[in-house]
Amino acid sequence: MRKSKIKSISYAKWGYIFILPFFLVYAVFSLYPMLTTFYYSFFENYNQGLTTVGPNFVGLNNYINLFKPNEGVFELLVYTKNTMIMWLLGAVPQFVFSLLLAVIFTSVRLKIKGQRFFKTVIYMPNLIMAAAYSMLFYVMFSEVGPVGMLCKTLISEDFVVFQSVGASRGVIAFINFLMWFGNTTIMLMAGIMGIDQSLFEAASIDGASGTQVFFKITLPLLSPIFVYVAITSLIGGLQMYDVPQIIGGTDGVPNRSTRTLIMWLNNVVTGKAKDYGKGGAISVLIFIITGVLSFIVYKNMVKEDKTLKASRRRKKNDLL
Amino acid sequence: MKNFKKNIALLSALALAGTMLAGCGGDTTTTDSGNAGGETTTKAADAAADTTAAADTGAAADDGAAADDGAAAAGGYEAAKTAGTGALTLPEGEGKVFNIYCWNEDFKNYVEKFYTAPAGVEFKWTVVPNEGGAYQTALDEALLNQESAAADDKVDLFLAEADYIIKYANTDLTQDVTKLGVENWGVGYDYTYNAATSTDGVLKGVSWQANPSMFIYRRSIAKDVLGTDDPDEVQAALSTWDKVDEVAQKAADKGYVMFASPLETYRTFANNSNVSYLNGDKFAPTEAFNNWVAQAEKYVENGWSKTYGLWADEKQALMGKDGNMMCCIGPAWYFNFCMGTAQEQTSGDWGICVGPQEHFWGGTWLLAATGSDNNAVIADLMNAFTANEDIMEKILTDAKEFPNNTNVVNKYASDDSYGLEFLGGQNHIKMMAECAKNITWDPALHTQYDQTFNETLPNSILEYLQGVCDKDTAMNNFYISLSEVAPQITHD
Repeated sequence: MRKSKIKSISYAKWGYIFILPFFLVYAVFSLYPMLTTFYYSFFENYNQGLTTVGPNFVGLNNYINLFKPNEGVFELLVYTKNTMIMWLLGAVPQFVFSLLLAVIFTSVRLKIKGQRFFKTVIYMPNLIMAAAYSMLFYVMFSEVGPVGMLCKTLISEDFVVFQSVGASRGVIAFINFLMWFGNTTIMLMAGIMGIDQSLFEAASIDGASGTQVFFKITLPLLSPIFVYVAITSLIGGLQMYDVPQIIGGTDGVPNRSTRTLIMWLNNVVTGKAKDYGKGGAISVLIFIITGVLSFIVYKNMVKEDKTLKASRRRKKNDLL
Repeated sequence: MKNFKKNIALLSALALAGTMLAGCGGDTTTTDSGNAGGETTTKAADAAADTTAAADTGAAADDGAAADDGAAAAGGYEAAKTAGTGALTLPEGEGKVFNIYCWNEDFKNYVEKFYTAPAGVEFKWTVVPNEGGAYQTALDEALLNQESAAADDKVDLFLAEADYIIKYANTDLTQDVTKLGVENWGVGYDYTYNAATSTDGVLKGVSWQANPSMFIYRRSIAKDVLGTDDPDEVQAALSTWDKVDEVAQKAADKGYVMFASPLETYRTFANNSNVSYLNGDKFAPTEAFNNWVAQAEKYVENGWSKTYGLWADEKQALMGKDGNMMCCIGPAWYFNFCMGTAQEQTSGDWGICVGPQEHFWGGTWLLAATGSDNNAVIADLMNAFTANEDIMEKILTDAKEFPNNTNVVNKYASDDSYGLEFLGGQNHIKMMAECAKNITWDPALHTQYDQTFNETLPNSILEYLQGVCDKDTAMNNFYISLSEVAPQITHD
């Protein structure tokens, strides 16, 4: 009896103690506000000038109103669409470009020199504040800015970048692309370097071509990291705020096409009416949308090749 | 095992999604304080409504100050003239910290340069920029928490603009300044006093400036287009909208544009409207607004106006050396502080005239916050910046504003040697004084949502004028914005 007790001495509690601060901070600054957001989304609570209406319990009314068109416009759908379009415009090229860079940098055959330098350079845009970066682009692409004037000469005299829906969204997506491709490249490089070198060696001995190695070895084994990169990018994309806010202004000009979900939320909550009930409902919906989309991306991207499972299990620690 | 791993990955993904709400969580925290603020307001309102005792206590508290202020009131304008000279001795029980809320440094500079504060008072400035409505948000929160704030933290005085002064003047959060010894002394422009008067007729504040808005024209371009740059002759050429159209066509023929923005004339139309946008809780476009849209369409179509925003950098470029903009419209604060490029590059090449319709634009008012423990200083400051003619003269000569004191204005209007270098030596005071006399403020035409009507509405229409969307969509975009500002307002 006594023996077995001695056997069960565990240091696990220290582990729990060490991770406790995180959970405390999370509970106070994230979990509690999140729960109160849910709670307040069931109340009517806004300002009329300097008088406050509510809080009055209105059940699901705030949610129901979100699914009703406002002035004939289904705002939730429009802003979700804007957000997703701008995310896709930036994220898809970013994945392709980053993957390419990551493969080139990690290629044993190419052995590129000065990797550290390139890594620093491509990561650099991320160090600049998004707002400052956007201001820079705003000035460059404005009607009297250098790029804006070039566009006038090249495209048409009447062409104004920030009066064109496609161009405005394109500029926003481009800024996001420039800011984040370095980060993605470094993540993917870490993923590729985590793949067992012997697999590449075996492949080259078997006479596999570069393309075959990429599609049969690199890509499948990279999928967990890729899933992670895609999900974080999606979540970041859904929260897109600073860049479009600077480029499109509060209303998301032109014609509200660059107004994202978070810009909408911000305007509802911090605008003159301070509609906390509606804001809460929007927050909860964004939470649900994020959850669902993350789930879809996750389900679609994890299609593991069973034969590679064994090697993956071995590599598990490296990857995590 | 495999499911377990998948689930763990999914869980971590959801946890990430969860942290995303951290930001929203922050909003909820604000909700809390918002609620608290809301409750306080209700309490404050109840207290004010239920018991006149509360008001009485307030009056009693004022009485100490009134001894001194009463003297000022009894002495009328002559006594008020001496305000701001440091002569005031603080009555017993007055606070030592004077809190002022404002959105830029202008008034702060005037106070520091021109005003002598009574001994023993420390001025504390809370400057919150206007951008994104931040100023009003901060001010509202402070005013709603006024009751529970420590005496030295209470807002004593705050600044407000024409477009939202009603929002504050019509509440109990601002106090009757006539009780403190401030009055319309009869030397200022009446509209500035009417604007600061609540709908039940109580004066809540004053302004040190009047803002007749003028046609500002580029002299060299006027010479080329009209053959003259003399203000009176230019005025004759611009005295009706039809004549303005003719000049615009002539200017266009010579490669100039009349305006940089179709929004330029919005204020002229809106300000001369004889109906409000709002009837109860119902919004309807006014005739003046429709006339403005028709004019803007015409100007854009004919190339008489560019389609820039009112505050766009592109407009600034058009005021520079190589710019081809003939006119813009604005009061003294506009041509002295908002024409940066022109001040740098084309100073002296500008002139002003009245244009086809007199109107005003903007203005800053000083409002007295309820619950202040510095009522004597409020009165001293307000009288100093309306009645003290030395200070008002410096407002004109040093700060280059148009002061709200006709004694000072008349002195300079009749002085032919006075002129503004930026305007090529033109005595702008003379012309503006004529205009300022006729400005009126009809409370029935103004609402607490004026800012939304006067900024968001024309800006939505601008997108239509730029060809981004059709007019119905532009109006619809405005209605959506309006629903975010005032969900209770309806429209056809």
